[in-house]
Amino acid sequence: MAHGHAHGVRAVDRLAYRSGMRDWNAAFKTVLAAGTLGLCLAADRLAVSLCVIAACAALQRVCGRLPLRDYLGLLAVPLGFLLLGGLAVAVDLSAVPAGGWSLRLPWCCLCADADSVRFAAALVCKALGAVSALYLLALTTAAGEWVAVLRRAHLPALLCELLYLIYRFVFVLLDQSGRMRDAAGARLGWRDFRTACRSFGGMAGNLLVLALRRARVYDDAMAARGYDGALRFLEEDKPVRAAQVAGLLAFWAALLALAFL
Amino acid sequence: MQPVLQAKGLRFCYEADKPALDGVSLDIFAGERIAVLGPNGAGKSTLFLCLTGVLAPDGGEIVLHGQTVGRKGRKRLCEHVGVVFQNADDQIIASTVAAEVSFGPMNLRLPRDEVARRVDNALDYMDLQAFRARPPHDLSGGEKKRVTIADMLAMQSEVLLLDEPFASLDPAGSERLEAVLARLSDEGRTLLIATHDMDFALRWATRAVVFAGGSVLADGAPQAVLADDTVLRRAQLRRPLLMEVWDTLRERGLAPADAPCPVSAGALARLLDGRAD
Repeated sequence: MAHGHAHGVRAVDRLAYRSGMRDWNAAFKTVLAAGTLGLCLAADRLAVSLCVIAACAALQRVCGRLPLRDYLGLLAVPLGFLLLGGLAVAVDLSAVPAGGWSLRLPWCCLCADADSVRFAAALVCKALGAVSALYLLALTTAAGEWVAVLRRAHLPALLCELLYLIYRFVFVLLDQSGRMRDAAGARLGWRDFRTACRSFGGMAGNLLVLALRRARVYDDAMAARGYDGALRFLEEDKPVRAAQVAGLLAFWAALLALAFL
Repeated sequence: MQPVLQAKGLRFCYEADKPALDGVSLDIFAGERIAVLGPNGAGKSTLFLCLTGVLAPDGGEIVLHGQTVGRKGRKRLCEHVGVVFQNADDQIIASTVAAEVSFGPMNLRLPRDEVARRVDNALDYMDLQAFRARPPHDLSGGEKKRVTIADMLAMQSEVLLLDEPFASLDPAGSERLEAVLARLSDEGRTLLIATHDMDFALRWATRAVVFAGGSVLADGAPQAVLADDTVLRRAQLRRPLLMEVWDTLRERGLAPADAPCPVSAGALARLLDGRAD
């Protein structure tokens, strides 16, 4: 159960570290992702949404060197939700057949017409465009760099440090819980539902105690290196290239043109 | 000669009336290689945390370069004394190796260029340049250990304390670490290593300090300290394998009775060859 989740967190993290766009300036990528997201939502046109989806996929593939398979795999989860939601928007329930198409069920009718389907499709594409824009940031930027961007954007230092430490802790605790899960499994801890519940409870309780102990040791380790209440790291300089800015402006101009045409 | 660092009657309790350190006195001289021995819970790690200023001792004092370190100065001890924790995952906090190594120098408030230079040097020293942009959770145990040592090198501490650095390293990793320790010592750094590896202690250290129950039980040359059966029994330590072999050889008349025990297999071979000539 925890395994699938762990895999997800690690997958996104690993892709972000391997991305060809990793050496792009993190603030620039944030502007790119946020701006594109905003344009896609504000324009509210199918053509713009499709353009954003295609452009993001192309960017991830060409500049990020992300295999299309991995990208589509990661898009599949939100897409599944969006399609289900879109279906609910496109189809109406009514007592009598109405609209272009209808399906008669024992007590009611499922109705849809060309307009409602078109509306739902546009909505799904818009949402998918927004997800693609966010993936542009999530799959290319290591969490640490992104926290540094937030810090420069004047997010309170306390929140930044919490984000940073939680990010590190997630992996430490994932490791720990993985080992505990295997150890429980080696003693038939998951053999049936009742046992599994008890094992899971014990594991969760232990993890809490371990996390608290770890927090204390971390505190010592940070004090041993002169920590005085503010986390400071050397950030590598990643200058924004003129070509990137030009590309960004051209892309946004194209989206705006599509929106007003 | 003045000691670099001194502990004078250090006392520390995690819980009242159960002292983890019970009057520990220790003079540490520049360039020494000290093996800190003793069973688990003997106070080795607590001493390290006190010496680096993380824990405030309940009694006694710490003297750095002849000057007593007061309550206020305690926080500055870590600029001179670095500690490498036993479990690398307890120490690594940053999300890339380079950022991790920069954490100490950044806290020393050094200028950016100087931090970058130190990070580069430390990564070169520990052969970690290829990992600099990698996240720590992507590294193996041995690689993480090297990162934690690079952390301390970047702070350029005069005295380095390593808490069981060989625990959970594979043989190749241990060998590599020992080479690094030899190089650090050759460069004049003062090293204290808490270890359970008696063979390493005999081979590497110029001085052995044995802890038991929060106080120093023995302090002297490793060959003398580790030959003392009373000390070994009270601290629940094992004799180095080489010493056992040496005794056997002497009992059988295969080694000179008056020569001191060699500290490594190589030294033993040379000694036996010398006798054969």
